[in-house]
Amino acid sequence: MLKFILRRFGSSFLVLLGASVLLYVLTINSGDPLADLRESNAENRDYLMQQRTQFMNLDMPWYQRYWTWLTGVGQCFIGRCELGTNRQGQEVVDLLGLAAASTLRLVVLATVIAMVFGIVIGILTAIRQYSGMDYAVTFLTFLFFSLPVFWAAVLLKEYLAIGFNDWMADPGFTWPAAIVAGLLLGVVLQAVLAGPPRRRLFTFLGAFLFTVLAIPYLDWLNFAQYPQLGPVVIALVGAAAAVGATALGAGLQNRRVLYAGLVTAALGVVSYYATYTLLWDPTWTILLVLAVVLVIVAVAVGRLMGGFSKGAATIVSLFTAGVMGLLILVEHLFRAWPGYLEIVGRPISTIGSQTPNFSGTFWEDFLDKGTQLLLPTILLALISLATYSRYTRASMLEVSQQDYIRTARAKGLGERQVILKHAFRNSLIPITTIMAFDFAALIGGAVITERVFGWKGMGEMFATGLDQVDPAPVMAFFLVTGTAAVLFNLLADILYAVLDPRIRV
Amino acid sequence: MKYTKLSAAAALLAGSALVLSACAPGGPAENSDTGSAAPEGNGDVITGDFGEKYTVEPADSGLADLGEIETQDGSIAYSVGEDEFISYNSMTPETYSTYNSAVTERLISTFAYFGTDGEIYQNEEYGTYEKVSDDPLTVKYTINEEAVWSDGTPVTAADYILKWGVENPRITTGSGEDAAPLFNAISQSFGEYVSEAPEGDPAGKEFTITFKEPYADWPILVDTALPAHVVAEESGMGMDAMLEAVRNEDAKALAPAAEFWNTGWNTSPGTLPDESIAPSNGPYTFKSWEPGQSITLTANENYWGTPPATKELVIRFAAADTHVQALANGDLNVIEPQATVDTLSQLEDLGDQIVIQTGASLTWEHLDFNFMDGSPFADNLELRKAFALCVPRQQIVDNLIKPVDPEAVVMNAREVFPFQDTYQEVVDAAYDGSYDEVDVEGAKKIVEAEGAEGTKVRIGYSAPNPRRSDTVAAIKSSCDEAGFVIEDVGSADFFDKTMPQGDYEVALFAWAGSGQIASGRNIYHTTGQQNYGKFSNKEVDAAWDTLAGSVDPAVHAEQVKVIEKGLWDNLFGIPLYAHPGVVAHSADVANVRDTATQSGAVWNAQQWVRAE
Repeated sequence: MLKFILRRFGSSFLVLLGASVLLYVLTINSGDPLADLRESNAENRDYLMQQRTQFMNLDMPWYQRYWTWLTGVGQCFIGRCELGTNRQGQEVVDLLGLAAASTLRLVVLATVIAMVFGIVIGILTAIRQYSGMDYAVTFLTFLFFSLPVFWAAVLLKEYLAIGFNDWMADPGFTWPAAIVAGLLLGVVLQAVLAGPPRRRLFTFLGAFLFTVLAIPYLDWLNFAQYPQLGPVVIALVGAAAAVGATALGAGLQNRRVLYAGLVTAALGVVSYYATYTLLWDPTWTILLVLAVVLVIVAVAVGRLMGGFSKGAATIVSLFTAGVMGLLILVEHLFRAWPGYLEIVGRPISTIGSQTPNFSGTFWEDFLDKGTQLLLPTILLALISLATYSRYTRASMLEVSQQDYIRTARAKGLGERQVILKHAFRNSLIPITTIMAFDFAALIGGAVITERVFGWKGMGEMFATGLDQVDPAPVMAFFLVTGTAAVLFNLLADILYAVLDPRIRV
Repeated sequence: MKYTKLSAAAALLAGSALVLSACAPGGPAENSDTGSAAPEGNGDVITGDFGEKYTVEPADSGLADLGEIETQDGSIAYSVGEDEFISYNSMTPETYSTYNSAVTERLISTFAYFGTDGEIYQNEEYGTYEKVSDDPLTVKYTINEEAVWSDGTPVTAADYILKWGVENPRITTGSGEDAAPLFNAISQSFGEYVSEAPEGDPAGKEFTITFKEPYADWPILVDTALPAHVVAEESGMGMDAMLEAVRNEDAKALAPAAEFWNTGWNTSPGTLPDESIAPSNGPYTFKSWEPGQSITLTANENYWGTPPATKELVIRFAAADTHVQALANGDLNVIEPQATVDTLSQLEDLGDQIVIQTGASLTWEHLDFNFMDGSPFADNLELRKAFALCVPRQQIVDNLIKPVDPEAVVMNAREVFPFQDTYQEVVDAAYDGSYDEVDVEGAKKIVEAEGAEGTKVRIGYSAPNPRRSDTVAAIKSSCDEAGFVIEDVGSADFFDKTMPQGDYEVALFAWAGSGQIASGRNIYHTTGQQNYGKFSNKEVDAAWDTLAGSVDPAVHAEQVKVIEKGLWDNLFGIPLYAHPGVVAHSADVANVRDTATQSGAVWNAQQWVRAE
């Protein structure tokens, strides 16, 4: 294995070196670095051109410029990276750090969301192959996949930013809106839950009535401006999470697991009261410590109460604890929402990653950064949803026709166990590859998304560098993305071997 | 138990949608309401032509006199484009850009500024200057007695003595072929035209400069001066030694000062230079810089003159195509979008909440003939006339420019713009109106008389540029009938390759007016570096030499007429139109004024204020 890894590293290094020469030459020949000065009629135009030629070494032959760059990069091995300066004289190392940070903030969440939802949708559509829901979801994911980013971004800004902000000034629903929402939710829910016609009808009616009654009630509460959950809701949702997780993970007849989940939910409500003051204006450290405590408690509950089903009980109580933790966070965010509205007026911006000069409590700050992340995250997640859901669906369908699935059914296993334990696990193997590549592509940024939402990320750095025929930022971009691609490729190969015993050598 | 996994999931979903208000615990303290004081009334508000508001109506194209005002709390957001702020020192070739200047020009005052029509005004709050002698041309500058840098150091002649050293082509490293300027400055004109360092007490408020020959653009020669006391301190040279070295043009001694001047103010994005090295002597000073996002300027408390009308100015780094929606959402308050029909209709859809100001800019479009060997137009004035007769100038303006700027007209001059006072006078003296109307028949006759039917005319421009493609298409449909064969040779490397090689007959591009009087000499004089088409005419050359060598405005006015006439009579090229400009802003922001100059709408940002 070690020899394999080393050999892969060696060949990857050579590939990177070759690619860097190619990219450097392509970049410096991609245009005219003096273009903006040529049309200028400033008196000192020639002097400016001469100064820029000097500054960017335009008078050197390409191999000399490349060598200068390469020796700078070579110093990374002795810990003094010298990636040069861009055309404005800024250190590329600094720019790279900022760009990478902002890109990661922008894309990590979107990718995780796309993965989780994509896989869930993939499983659901595979289980209900050729149903109305399958067709509808297939249609929608392909529609999202083929959206032109800049156009979708403009639409999102128009409705979810400008429209939403206008609505927030005087929130409220009309009856027709509530009825349409009810119909929509009813149709979607009955399609997802499926079953015989009678059950579908009840699901539809239940969802419809619930929505039509809940919306005016929320309106009456002025929920949009003063949202709140309250301990009762938190307790109910927590209990529902425990029951749901048990049903999916172990079956409700397994009482030990169910009780472990419910006890965790109860502990969650207790901790809601216990941490209320602490979480009034916390810091990241406090949150982190609480998260660790949460995990420890959940694991302890699962192990102590699980008996023979320790494993399942631990997973259920961890899930329940996670849901409780999120609910508590949401409750505090809700509490901070009116104050935040008062500071910013219009909560969702069309550009930027934060309100300039924003200062507020921890939660208000959290809200500020969160609301600005909302639109690009929705956009990126929608677009990459298709890849994951389609791959998962195909992979699930393939696996469910295998002999061992038939065997599992034949020996009398429940549908839950067949799907989650036997089919799903095996179908994850090919998806791992896509995930690895996707994470590598992450750091490359999303040029258009960054641009339309005014984020200065990796994609923007690359595009600007190329536009100005400025090799230093372009090469820095290449260095990071190229290395990431090679590393994650390697990681995927190793993971493959770990996941699938058949291909272990 | 008959539960199934999916109805359990439904319970989960339904549960999350439940809302029951119930007993939430009380927190440690209620959020105290930070009630903002009601903005003070600014008296009467005047409404301008476009519906924009003014607290004081501007008397001329310069800054309005706001009188005694108090800075109002709050902030106004503006964006030039996505380019990040770079450095406090925007006087190096690397850092000099409209993006950077949008910030630094708020921080560092200058003696002169351009009004909305390009006219030069003295910034009397900062200081004054006057010509004290014509021969040799001598100008005396007086800095306001109260003018101080925000660290408390007075602004003195020392700042300008250093500036002269910085912009001095004789202070170099190396010699002969290898000589390179010691200070990496954007311009070397100051040292080139003024051979001795400014005279005056370095600690005093007055200095005098003596030009070695008459220089037409003397009123704007001395621009941004960076703080000399910071350079003296940071380089460790000490003020006296540094100024002494500057006066002696002693490059060796100045090396430490140059090192600091060239790079000492550069910081990585997000890190503002320390207040002690980056003081302000303008209405604003730095407040914060969020890398990749925005830079915020706040009122300079030590500013002696009229304080800024609004306390904070936020300059956000956002791409131009995001500006319209950002304005609609209030993320930006003042924008200068691309002046296209599409943008304008998007803006108009926003209704009353914004104000749109359209106007012309100092950038103007023109067709220039190629006079190099091999060009059919080189020695054939008649053929040039035929081409000028068939170019549908009015149609081009009507179709491409008027939808954006309804006031747009065909431009009939090169050195003055239709929105300037002297325009009509110059046009009357130089141009007889021959090319106002398209005359395809007349053009055809000339072409036939010259035996030039089927002459290939390659019109080159820097592509992609839809407006220029449309312009060439309009010319083609008209001039092809006159016997020319128009070919669109627009390409991305037009300025790089096509133009220097002379592979074109007519060039279509724009010059950005610099506000200088004599800069056109470079374009139209036989020896001009920007005379790309190699035009040469003795009368025009002589007129330029007279103009550039004179400091008398009357001479300038007279020579401009001679030059324009010479250029029309010999058909150097055909002027088309001044580029349109658009400024849009929230309706409640008063005192925003569109300007034709390159400084952008931000030019009077210190006067922007919210008014009801």
